[in-house]
Parts: sequence; C-alpha cells; structure tokens
Amino acid sequence: MEDRDQKVVTFHSHYGALLYRRRYGDGCVLRPVPRELSSSCGTAAFVSGGLHEELFDENTEAAYEMTEEGWRKIYG
Amino acid sequence: MRISGKAGLAVTGAAIGIISVALVALGNPANMGFCIACFIRDIAGAMHLHTAPIVEYVRPEIIGIVFGSFAISVIKGDFNPRAGSSPVLRFIIGFIVMVGALVFLGCPLRMVLRLGGGDLNALVGLAGFAAGIAAGCFFLSRGFSLGRASKESPLEGVAFPAINVALFIAFLAVPSLFLFSESGPGSMHAPVAASLLAGLIVGIAAERTRLCMAGGIRDMILIRDFTLITGFVAIFAFALIGNLITGRFSLGFAEQPVAHSAHIWNFLGMFAVGLGSAMLGGCPLRQLIMAGEGSGDSAMAVLGMLVGAACAHNFSLAASANVGPGINGKVALVIGIVLLVAIAAIVTERNRRSE
Repeated sequence: MEDRDQKVVTFHSHYGALLYRRRYGDGCVLRPVPRELSSSCGTAAFVSGGLHEELFDENTEAAYEMTEEGWRKIYG
Repeated sequence: MRISGKAGLAVTGAAIGIISVALVALGNPANMGFCIACFIRDIAGAMHLHTAPIVEYVRPEIIGIVFGSFAISVIKGDFNPRAGSSPVLRFIIGFIVMVGALVFLGCPLRMVLRLGGGDLNALVGLAGFAAGIAAGCFFLSRGFSLGRASKESPLEGVAFPAINVALFIAFLAVPSLFLFSESGPGSMHAPVAASLLAGLIVGIAAERTRLCMAGGIRDMILIRDFTLITGFVAIFAFALIGNLITGRFSLGFAEQPVAHSAHIWNFLGMFAVGLGSAMLGGCPLRQLIMAGEGSGDSAMAVLGMLVGAACAHNFSLAASANVGPGINGKVALVIGIVLLVAIAAIVTERNRRSE
C-alpha cells in the first residue's frame, strides 16, 4: 500500500530503474509500477524523500506523488 | 470491482487454475486446460500452416484471451496502440520461445498446470524456466532493452484483435476452410462457447492484474519483489486442488499426459522459454494480453510464435509425447538458445556503448 508523501518514478526499462536506485542509495525501493499508473509490468522506484532529479536520464519516463486524490504527475 | 495487487493476482490465478481443470473435464486434453503454445500451434495446424494431423483446431481460448484483453483495456482506458520496439527481433524471439515450448510440450502456464496434475517432468521444466529468466535478468541488469515503442494509430492497435475476431467468425461460419484433428490432442476440446468464455474471463482478469508467468520470477530475482509471483502460485494451488477433487492427480515422471521424461531437453526447452520471455518482457500469455492492449510489438512476438509452431511441426522440431525431441528438435533448440544469448549480448553491449 502506498503511503502519503511517497513518490514514484517510472522508467522506460528495468535497467533505468536499477541505475536510478544504485545512484540514489538508501531510501529508494524498486517495485512493480502501480497498476493505477500503467498496465505494463515494468519496474518503478518508490522514494519517500526527494526525487533527486539530477539522477534522471533518458531512461526516466515520469514521476508521480501520492495525494488524497491518488497519484499526481509531477515530472515527465 | 477493482482487482489489483496481490489479492487480485491470487483471485486471477485461482480462477485460471479452476477454469483449466473445468476445461479438461469438458473435453480439453489432460493438464491442458490452457496452453498458449499448444493452442497457437493448434491454430497454425487448423490454418494449414503445418500438416501434423493430431494438432489442428481453432482454439477459442486464444481468441477469447486477446478479445477479452482488448475489450477491457478499451473500457478501462488502458488501450494504447504502440509499436516499433525491435519488431523483427521480437518475431525471432517469439519463434524460438515456441520451439522451446514445443520441445518441452507446453508454455509456462501449462508447465504450472502439469505440476498441479502431479507431472514431475514439469518440475524439471520449472528449473529450466527459472534458469532462463535468471539468465535474462543478467542481461536486463546490464542494460538489455529492445528499445522504446512509439505511439501508433488506433488502427494499428485494433488490427491484431480484429484478426482474431475475423478468425473466430470464419471458424463458425465456414468451418470447411480449416483442418480439424480426428485424433490426438487437437481432437480433444471443450465446447466452443465454454472455451471462448474461459478465454474471455482469463483475458480480462490477466489484463487487469498483469498476471505473467515470467514476470513473477523475474521480479523475485531482479528487485526481490513477490507481487507478480502470487498469480503463479495460485494457479498451481488451485489446479492441484481441482485435480485432486476430480481424481486427475497422478504423481510421477512416467505416463504423464502429453509429456516426456527427456530431462535435459525439458530443462533446455523451458530455459529458452524463460530467457526469451525475459527478453520480450513477458510470457506467451502476457504477449497475448499486451497484443490485445494494442502493442504491435507483442503481436509480432505472437506471430513469431505462430510461425515457430508451424516450422516446429513441418521440420520435426517438436517433441513427441512419451518419447521426447528428435535430433532436429535438439539441434534447433541449441541453435535457438545460442541465438537468444547472442541477441541479448549484442543488444546489451550496444545499449551500454550508447549511454
């Protein structure tokens, strides 16, 4: 279950997600993309701190944050 | 009703397990309530693409899965016509996945159903499948990707589901166009309405939950996540319960229905399926679901499987039940695995260089 204040970053490839987590370090967990965001079974990065947009690259698709209304797109 | 997450996957897996046992009770071959590879192979036979007389039938389950996925994706806003992610490579990988599946005698879904029926040869297949996915994860974690798909016209996305509907209409209206087995697995089938309904239910549920036989093992290895594997486990559990209740459970290696005990080839056949599925981003069932959602790339993989099935029988690559694969099948499978590894290595290296 997603927590409030949680953010999720989606990627064009599994490799993109793995690279992001490697660069991000602690505070980033990889899980399947939330079903509400996509019908694909790709990998997403869940972070509870900042997004660290400087880590985004051509593999990054979008970023969302959890609000009372559900996921809201904040990047991409 | 919203079905997603582990609960939705468990319900979907349970439904598939129960429906599969019911389809066998209604006439499908044993431990073959559903088999994406076998059913695509039967359709290839019915369409005169191969001439193996015991495996020819237009399987409504496949048509139902594609149309169910298409319909629910349109209703729920998931329909997304897209293509252009290495379509020819996907065709080739789909072809090799089919050869691997027909050497083993089943897709990953039938592998689990065979396990639920007590067929221990499927346990060897599972080991090969997991090893193949692990090999795929090796490449995925080093940069393997077949590339980004681009948005396409709605017509492109509708084309594949429409072909399936046209095939079904032709099957009902002009059956003389097709070949139908008079003996063997192709002659064994549930009533058309039951098969179609089963396919529709599985297509809808698998689209909503993203059920994938390969994705669960991939996520366990790659990101230590156990969400997608839930469906896999539920299919096994409910097929097992269903087979025990209906008296179809038979534990052992010998005398299993539409199976053989050539262990190394069972392992290698499913290794090819596992590696190919990891490269394609999903198992054969998942390819049908994504093709229904408008993915031209997945449709290419399915067409690769269709042609692969035809070639597997025309060139004697498929295994024989109780015997195993002949020399043609063994050579083709080894070449197929070498090709998969070569494609994975070349694409991974190219992607790393372009970073």
